[in-house]
Amino acid sequence: MKKIFIFLFMIVSIVNAQELNNKMKQYMQILKNQAQKDNPSFKQFNYERGENIFISEHIGKKGKLISCVSCHSSNLFNNGENIHTTKIIKPLSPLANSTRFTKVKEVKKWLRRNFRDVYNRVGTAQEKGDVITYIINKK
Amino acid sequence: MKNLIIMIFLVSSIFADSFWGSSKKGVAPVTNNLYIAECTSCHFGYQAGLLPSSSWKKLMGGLEDHFGTDASLEPDDSKNILNYLTNNSAEKFTNYKRSRKINDSIPSYSTPIAITKTPYIIKKHDDISNKLIKQKEVSSLANCKACHTTANTGSYSERDIDIPNYGRWDDE
Repeated sequence: MKKIFIFLFMIVSIVNAQELNNKMKQYMQILKNQAQKDNPSFKQFNYERGENIFISEHIGKKGKLISCVSCHSSNLFNNGENIHTTKIIKPLSPLANSTRFTKVKEVKKWLRRNFRDVYNRVGTAQEKGDVITYIINKK
Repeated sequence: MKNLIIMIFLVSSIFADSFWGSSKKGVAPVTNNLYIAECTSCHFGYQAGLLPSSSWKKLMGGLEDHFGTDASLEPDDSKNILNYLTNNSAEKFTNYKRSRKINDSIPSYSTPIAITKTPYIIKKHDDISNKLIKQKEVSSLANCKACHTTANTGSYSERDIDIPNYGRWDDE
């Protein structure tokens, strides 16, 4: 019986960890509305598209091939390392680092900066929603 | 007699202090929480006293291309950080030895935004082989704390240097 409770508790905490707070949900809704405006056939954000955004390499702001993985590593539960400064970056997954994806201002800031660094342009609403969907759900 | 010696000692130490401008070592430590939160998420927390205010203004005016990386901030945050940096910049804290030397080394016609491009810092590091700087554990001259073990306190003294795969540095 005790084991079942522990099991249930673990499931609940995993589900909770994945759940975005209200401010973040509002932000995701704004992105979704914009994505629909940009593309009438848009249905919903997509994990696979997000994964591709995250792992694919592009000629970045510095004119060299770079991807999100270059600094964050492909394991979102591990520390990453800033390739320019060698500074450690804490895990990106909210399942490993509960402070991630809790502050809209922070999320906007890093999406703006990192799309420019990796793609040398700003991300579209759909791309932002896709990549967030990938990061918060990746196990 | 003993009192007289103590008096002479006290007077001379006061005199020495005013003569040397009550000089402090290193640079003043970082105190601003916004600066720490925003700037040290990517790199070492360089003390404001490592550059003059003209350099900080130029640097903070170009955060969209910050050494090749987008480090842009919300306008309010950017303004507050710039205020902190210029209020604590090298030319205002020349009582700190490193701030004074960095500031004095920069010619009036130049406004370096990289601390590593200031003449004093270049000169202080010109004996160190490229191999030691480029090695994985250091990677660049900008990575102060890789060798200056007390850099985060604002102290860059020689006795606290420990270069990876080399050890202590003796300037003589």
